[in-house]
Amino acid sequence: MKLRVLFIFAFFASAAAVMFLGPSDPASAQRRDKGFSHASASHKKIDCSSCHKVPTSNWVSTRGYPDVADFPGHASCINCHRRDFFSGNRPAICAGCHTNPGPRGAARFPFPVRSRSQEFSIVFPHDVHQDLIARNVKQTETVVAHFVPTNFRSADDPKTPEFNNCAICHKTTEKLPKYGPRVSAGVKPLVEAATGAFLPAAGFFKDSPNSHASCFTCHYQNQKPARTDCAGCHKLTTPYFDSNTISRYSIKFDHLSKNHVNKDCMTCHVRIAQNSDIAKMKDADVPILTCSTSSCHGPVIREEIGKREASLEEKKPTFQCIYCHSPEVGRFPIPPSHQN
Amino acid sequence: MPRCLAVTFLTFLLAPMALPQAASTGALEVSGRVKIDGKVEKLTRKRFYLFTGGLKENSSLLERIRTAEVVSRDCYYKRAKASQPFICWLQAADCESPYCRTPSESEIQSVPEFKAAFTKGMTQFRSKPAIARDWLLTNMSANLVNGFYLQKRTLSETLLGNAKPLQSSMTDTITVKSIFIDIPVPVATKFTVSNILAMEVGKKSYVWACEVSVEPGKTAKLNLQVPEAGKTIKNCEVIVKDLPQCGTGACEQK
Repeated sequence: MKLRVLFIFAFFASAAAVMFLGPSDPASAQRRDKGFSHASASHKKIDCSSCHKVPTSNWVSTRGYPDVADFPGHASCINCHRRDFFSGNRPAICAGCHTNPGPRGAARFPFPVRSRSQEFSIVFPHDVHQDLIARNVKQTETVVAHFVPTNFRSADDPKTPEFNNCAICHKTTEKLPKYGPRVSAGVKPLVEAATGAFLPAAGFFKDSPNSHASCFTCHYQNQKPARTDCAGCHKLTTPYFDSNTISRYSIKFDHLSKNHVNKDCMTCHVRIAQNSDIAKMKDADVPILTCSTSSCHGPVIREEIGKREASLEEKKPTFQCIYCHSPEVGRFPIPPSHQN
Repeated sequence: MPRCLAVTFLTFLLAPMALPQAASTGALEVSGRVKIDGKVEKLTRKRFYLFTGGLKENSSLLERIRTAEVVSRDCYYKRAKASQPFICWLQAADCESPYCRTPSESEIQSVPEFKAAFTKGMTQFRSKPAIARDWLLTNMSANLVNGFYLQKRTLSETLLGNAKPLQSSMTDTITVKSIFIDIPVPVATKFTVSNILAMEVGKKSYVWACEVSVEPGKTAKLNLQVPEAGKTIKNCEVIVKDLPQCGTGACEQK
């Protein structure tokens, strides 16, 4: 009888403890020191939208467009981390979102915290997007005499309609971004880089989207992946810090020069049309072929390649290719792509 | 054993020397400027696929392409119950979907689908007209936004079947060329190039399947052509079909 009473008491006591403290993971407090991780076994099981509200209530003031502009609320964490919320005066769990951890620390970091490592890479299929914005060029200028149900050329219409293209995501940079030389991994330079720096202008570069702004214009709802399907674009990866540095083989290429600005991006960015994941693109999306076979650059490129080969053959100081490259790149061996 | 070690040592020693100095690759340039009915048409932003083997080796793929049903843009949108002004808006700039270009203010007012989406957006996006306008397509039904593309993608998957293209490439709007690079060719090799999905030009649809030979270190060139009535083009099969008529009304064309 005593045993039975003890058993019932123990059962209710443990049930009450669970109700009060919640099903806390004993290891979670230890993990707090390392900060929040989307990659933990428990978090990976949770659907993103069960924590992240899209849009958050502060979108108007913070972003100006409907977006995930704030951390998930307490309700997302407390079921599993109740114990962490009440550990000490300045619980470590609070520091994940709040600038001043503690019961009264209401202020939160701007979301997302850019100084923290990133846990997700972006999957963007260029091929699908290029198929979708593909269009024909209107061929005929002949006015066809038919019944006219709708007029698409009213006073406020521009003379030429603006077609969607790569520029809807990639705009010319207004400020000079961080840039650096791009070199092939595992290849040793032939010589030290020659002195003499080349300074590109801001217009040499194009932006890439770094927020939801350009994606949500189509993918907010109805078009998959929609805003609540985070995994449609964001894939968990080894944490990394985004350097925001643009690496280029050819730092001297100016997108805005008069003979480049009048081209279609795809005239040169040949590889991009068949790319389903930019992270998997090994080679430059602009192959040398697009420049070396042109009448504008072909002769100079061939001349430089000739000078390099001659310098090696004659055992003279190695000629560094600086027509397209900075010396940091032009001192490397000529890659096979240039020899076809 | 020492001989074995010596062979291993020599292999390591010679390995860097065995690296290819120039890749055994070739390139192919497909020109999308085609003379149709006496007029040069520019087939811009059209995707072409490259298949290993000539026309004979790709005969089953060709057979599927020949017998494929062509659903024109106008027919698709008519079936999707798009309004006449919406169909005309697409036709006005030869767009395949509303992703093609941004509707102007007046177009938003004159095309019922755009107007409804804008009104819905104003309610949803806290009366912010810029967002309601810029995010217009998020408030339109999916079948009018990307349905035509998805239908074509499904058809291309069906047509491809087990045939795996080596590469695909798209024509640009300036040079109207589709360029295939890094084609692995140790020696001159036969390939088949095809757009597989019918392209609409005027009231007809066109599919090309052409055999080309690509040599290492060289750029092969292919100029698409349409044969004159009763004639054929060497190494090319051109499938021309009349586009089905679906009773879409007439639109002003400028």
